[in-house]
Amino acid sequence: MSVAPSIVLQGVRVVHSRNPGIALIDEVDWTVNPGEFWVVAGLQGSGKTLLLETAAGLTPQGEGRVFLFGEEVSGGRQEADELPEIRQRLGLLFDGAGRLFPSLNVFENIALPWCYHRNGSLAEAAEVLAPLINYLQLDKLLDQVPGRLGRAWARRVALGRALALGPELLFLDNPLSGIDTAHLRWWRNFLVDAPRGHPALGGRPMTLVAASDELRPFLSLGHRFALAHEGRWRILGSAADVLAAREDAGVREILGDND
Amino acid sequence: MESITSTFSRSEVRKVGLRFAPAAIEALETLTRLSAFTLITLGTGWTRFGLNSRVIRPRIIEEIHRSGVCLLPIVSFLGVALGVVFVGQTIALMQQVGAAGFTGTLIVTVFIRELAPLAAGLVVLARVGTATVIELGTARALGEVEALEALGIDPIHYLVLPRVVGFTVSVLCLTVYLMILTLVSGYLFAFARGLKATPGEFFGMVAAALSWLDFPLLALKTAGFGVITGLVICYHGLARSLTLDEVGKATTRTVAQCVIACLLLDAVFIVVYLFT
Repeated sequence: MSVAPSIVLQGVRVVHSRNPGIALIDEVDWTVNPGEFWVVAGLQGSGKTLLLETAAGLTPQGEGRVFLFGEEVSGGRQEADELPEIRQRLGLLFDGAGRLFPSLNVFENIALPWCYHRNGSLAEAAEVLAPLINYLQLDKLLDQVPGRLGRAWARRVALGRALALGPELLFLDNPLSGIDTAHLRWWRNFLVDAPRGHPALGGRPMTLVAASDELRPFLSLGHRFALAHEGRWRILGSAADVLAAREDAGVREILGDND
Repeated sequence: MESITSTFSRSEVRKVGLRFAPAAIEALETLTRLSAFTLITLGTGWTRFGLNSRVIRPRIIEEIHRSGVCLLPIVSFLGVALGVVFVGQTIALMQQVGAAGFTGTLIVTVFIRELAPLAAGLVVLARVGTATVIELGTARALGEVEALEALGIDPIHYLVLPRVVGFTVSVLCLTVYLMILTLVSGYLFAFARGLKATPGEFFGMVAAALSWLDFPLLALKTAGFGVITGLVICYHGLARSLTLDEVGKATTRTVAQCVIACLLLDAVFIVVYLFT
């Protein structure tokens, strides 16, 4: 039995969430297979965050069709809310500090999706999520409120929240931006562990899609690369293909070779 | 001369119409959206009743604590003040004019049926409602609602329902508490000023002025104030995509609309009382 692709986008127009009349990326045709690690590169404002949200079924697309795990999601928020099963199979890490819930502490933030979907108590969540929390090195921060955390730690808490249900597909928006070398090292290990499968992450290989405005840190990590540049969508291929396409203006710009 | 007058009045009418038409259309649109939001909330409450209880129940209790238990001190103060100012003065005045027999009727008609539910509803709106709309508006503006959706958590179920239930229970309980405290403090004030009636006689007089219909109608009315307040607050905080600078305006709009909606509901109940 063949396994359905994790994501399929057919002729999708990525539009601004507050103003659907504004198209940011046109004609996105994209297939992400299970176990792949895709890196979507683009400069700030190129629409890569909205592309991630559209692919995750959070933001409606202007045109085209979006499929997640072989099932069509319209991309409209209300319709997507009716697909809780699909939602539980994917995780999304937002840009910056990860949009944590300020009224909950670190542990409650991480445990919220598990407690909600499994109807479990915080004590049960503590037991189930202990390996994940240990892997994320958040043991000593569990009682802290998000407002007191640094950006890098907040992002790691948000990652924990996205991983709490053991998703098969994980969207990461700019995961490596603005963090110090110690955090960078940890994230590089995570980005190697996740597609291979790690016991603390549920054991099975995870499909990753990361959006970034820098390509270089991902060249040794990502399997496949794509570029959102000046409203156009391009599949670049492997890291070797990216380096071979350095003459291209868009690729040169995202690699920082223009400087 | 006549044609000049009619032209003038027509242009005046047009001017007034142009001025008020956009406001009327906006009010109608808000009412439509609010109705849709109410239906979605009711639908969510119906379909998800009892689901995810380990998360939702503590949130309901938290909301009751925030909008009910935490307001006990200010409602106590209000109760004592109303008791002294309204009930105590009413008893004294009615005795002076020789109409002591009507004291119970006056207290029931003015205070128990009208003033107490409105006062409790307005205290909840002022102390918790405004903070809630800012909290929800900021959460929306900072993308926390999208974060909930990304986790497969229905924002109406997680954010709206606990607040609506919490506000409803709180307004209902605070109204009863306010009534009891006001009557007791009012009696004590009047007694200190020389009232001859025993507590049994005074409370018996108030009870005699109440009809059996007062209990279900008052429960419905106070619960209605809580539901309306909760829904209008959550609608303005969540239903529209806000930027941070729009949160303040949304808060002001919420307070005004809550007050208008509660007064309209109050008017409906006055009509009900008139026909029963």
